[in-house]
Amino acid sequence: MNLSFHRLLAIALVGVLSYCDQAKAEEKVLREIIDSEISAAWLKQSVTPTQRTSDAEFLRRVYLDLTGVIPTYAEAAEFLKDESSDKRQKLIDKLLDSPRYALHQADLWDLILFGRNPPGFGTERREGIQGWLKNQFAANAPYDKMIKQLLRAEGNSVEQGPAMYYVQYRNQPEDLNEKVTQTFLGVQLQCARCHDHPFDDWKQTDFFGMAAFFARLTVAEVGKKDNLTLYAVGEKMTGEVLFTGPAKDQAPGKKGEPIKPKFLHGDALAEPALPDGFKEPKVEGNKLPPTPSFSRRDQLVDWITKADNPYFARAIANRIWGQYFGRGIVHPVDNLSPANAPSHPALLETLTGWLVAHQFDLKALTREFLNSNTYQLSSAGSNGEAFPLWFQHGRTRPLSAEELAESWRLATGYEESSKDKEKDKSRFHPLTRDYVVRYFGTPTNGTGDFQGGLAEHLYLNNGQLSSLFSTAAGGLFATLSDKEKAANEKIDRLFLQTLSRLPSAAERERFEPLMASGEKTEDIRRDLVWSLITCSEFRFNH
Amino acid sequence: MFGQCTPAEHMSRRALMKGALGVAGGGVVMNWGGLTQTALGAEVAKAKKHCIYLFMNGGCSQFETFDMKVGRPTGGPFRPISTNVAGTQVCELMPKMSQQMDNIAVIRSMRTSQVDHPGGIYLMHTGYAPTPNVRFPEMGAIVAKYQGQEQTDLPNFIKIFGHGDAGAGFLGPRYQSFALSPDGQLPTFSGSGMAPDKELRRHEVRQFLEDQFAANHKSEVAKMHRESYEAARRLGAVKDVFKIDTEWEKYRELYGDSAMGRRMLLARRLVEAGVPFVEVGQSSYDTHGDNFTGHKGLLPPMEHAWAGLITDLKQRGLFDDTLIVWAGEIGRTPSINNRAGRDHYVRAWSTALAGCGVKGGLVYGSTDEEGHDVKDNPVTEGDFFATIYKALGIDPKIENYTGVRPIPLAPFGSKVVSDLLS
Repeated sequence: MNLSFHRLLAIALVGVLSYCDQAKAEEKVLREIIDSEISAAWLKQSVTPTQRTSDAEFLRRVYLDLTGVIPTYAEAAEFLKDESSDKRQKLIDKLLDSPRYALHQADLWDLILFGRNPPGFGTERREGIQGWLKNQFAANAPYDKMIKQLLRAEGNSVEQGPAMYYVQYRNQPEDLNEKVTQTFLGVQLQCARCHDHPFDDWKQTDFFGMAAFFARLTVAEVGKKDNLTLYAVGEKMTGEVLFTGPAKDQAPGKKGEPIKPKFLHGDALAEPALPDGFKEPKVEGNKLPPTPSFSRRDQLVDWITKADNPYFARAIANRIWGQYFGRGIVHPVDNLSPANAPSHPALLETLTGWLVAHQFDLKALTREFLNSNTYQLSSAGSNGEAFPLWFQHGRTRPLSAEELAESWRLATGYEESSKDKEKDKSRFHPLTRDYVVRYFGTPTNGTGDFQGGLAEHLYLNNGQLSSLFSTAAGGLFATLSDKEKAANEKIDRLFLQTLSRLPSAAERERFEPLMASGEKTEDIRRDLVWSLITCSEFRFNH
Repeated sequence: MFGQCTPAEHMSRRALMKGALGVAGGGVVMNWGGLTQTALGAEVAKAKKHCIYLFMNGGCSQFETFDMKVGRPTGGPFRPISTNVAGTQVCELMPKMSQQMDNIAVIRSMRTSQVDHPGGIYLMHTGYAPTPNVRFPEMGAIVAKYQGQEQTDLPNFIKIFGHGDAGAGFLGPRYQSFALSPDGQLPTFSGSGMAPDKELRRHEVRQFLEDQFAANHKSEVAKMHRESYEAARRLGAVKDVFKIDTEWEKYRELYGDSAMGRRMLLARRLVEAGVPFVEVGQSSYDTHGDNFTGHKGLLPPMEHAWAGLITDLKQRGLFDDTLIVWAGEIGRTPSINNRAGRDHYVRAWSTALAGCGVKGGLVYGSTDEEGHDVKDNPVTEGDFFATIYKALGIDPKIENYTGVRPIPLAPFGSKVVSDLLS
């Protein structure tokens, strides 16, 4: 196994040399560094890597990772037929530039920013910010600029988007602070909210010092558009968070002390004094206060998104790594605590430096990751870990609710067989979003580990899947009923369209008699398709 | 999550259940579940201990239940009543439980560390404060692991309108909870309308496909996918346990005609059928406003059902092997705010235990005159969980590993409150 891996490395090296373009050559360097750092750790840990993925394994994985859906039958057939040596690289490039890439990243970031059940009244309808996210990824906006724009939240929540982020935490600067530091800096301050942290550096004053930056934000409803409330975010010139000391020692009814903004691990904010006799203007109804002459929030946003912020670039490099390799180099990805050491420290430093040097270009970083041999290792093998610590094999992750619903539709050919082509239908149509999200939506432990249980199987067994099974022309069933086609051909089609691979000899043998015509043919075909789209191979990206 | 059910969903659920009845009797598919059911019926179920966790979501007030401060400014408007334990009084809102005090042990000296709901709910379900690095399992998952059955048709950890979402944590999906709706209904899509031969065919084809996949992929998650699927199929064989309607008439008086009454009757049926852990939840105790009206509405149905549950378990000989835990995630402030409400308080509050060798008629610990602080015998969340595990015959010092880090069932340094156990 080791031998063949070295051979693969050699092949990759040839690939590098065949590229002369300066920029491309530079990009190649990162994927090589990744592979050498990862294989050095294997050697040190006496870990044996698996084989490289087969084309079919790679195909399904890269489609799900980059676009959030399995490939169509035609796409799968085309890729498997292609004999060119750079076809994987070309596929990565093609998918990175497809509109589905932006949509899928927007789905993932919607989940990062809001979760499945966001707090705050009015946050269920998020088309505005979802559209904004999609545009950001479609334009490949530099990550630092994107986050700066998000957190500055100018304009309203529907046309411009970002304001919705703050609607979750209106009048709750402490909650907002917890989320902002965790999401964008990978720093978990929540324990320091109630007491000085027992083994991290964080003190309660660090927590409240950061929360103070958000103390003056106000969220206002500034109108309606297409039945959606428009929210906007403003900032007052006065207002503080109150610090009450350790929660355990709090006496009921005691008010806390106002606390000044202070950057994490840094200085207090130098704040201009308020003009003499300043009085906060009274704001009527649902209006925003006038733009402040000095914005605490904007000072914090600038500090967060600076390239030399000790956490910002590191947190996103690590998060994107985790997205494609199943676990962060620091894991979980949003806890870059000194008490939570990285598995490959030097590699994380390299990734961080590279990302900063490349102006926070997430797409370029993703391209490097996916072209590495590490990413292209098979998930098969004897190792039971879904998310291997040493990245010695591909990870096995469950499909999200969106990925499942849309992949089921592709696998059954629902669109083609359905006359129901209304454009404004839910993405989950004909399945019910509430159900799919309820049964498959939220990894229950926050780190994405598979926790699916009894309930999801009740849905798979008895739920709505049959609504996808149309026998009308164009769908998978119609194709399978085609009398012109040989049984063999139909079995190929069945497997390629559902599992994006050809059947094994054993599978072919098992399916052949079942595909033969008989009185219950159609019924049996439904059972076959059902089995294929509910089996563990379909349920996981592997 | 079940609050979102639409009327249409209830319709279809009824239809599904009706369809399911048609196949419940026969077919080779259903029978393979039935086999294990026989084994479960007799001696195996008896040997095991059970736990019913009555969870008062939002944080029930100690002042309006077990720790009244009569005549003090913190006392509130309710009067105390005497109980069947000499010298012990409880709030007048609990007449039925006042006659069960000889069966329960009250802890008046809880002191916990999480003042807000998410943290408190996590704490009072796992025994641990939330931390980003470790996914602690809930008490139910731990009991499922150490008192559950390997091969069983019923899930080992059931929540009837349960709260908390820590789930099985690092113990993994095998010990994940199974949630029933507030009215004790099985989740939507629990019933199968499929003919048994069709269900069997699907099952066989998929099993074949999964065997192929599993031969190449040793990943635990795929294995767990398979186990969960099999559990879902087995559940079909025992659906009748969840139907309390036939029995309800007989028990309406005992448990009280309320949602909590029906939940607790179902909990008793599940325990009787061998389920080691059932959480029964009640919501809306977060009474920052109108605390007294709130408790006046919430307590009577709950305490009636609780008293009924104790009586029923005793009559069936299950009380000695079933621990009843009563707790919320927080207590409530001594001070009464300007909305006649009480806010969150964790410095001194009350919980209760009963059954499974817990000493009845006992009041453990006490608070000062106005209920501001614990006067003696403080009990932390760790002590509380250690005591529960001990009562259930599970050593609280047992360690599970998450990665290389050993995690004891109850936090390191917790002590079993042995005064509570006989």
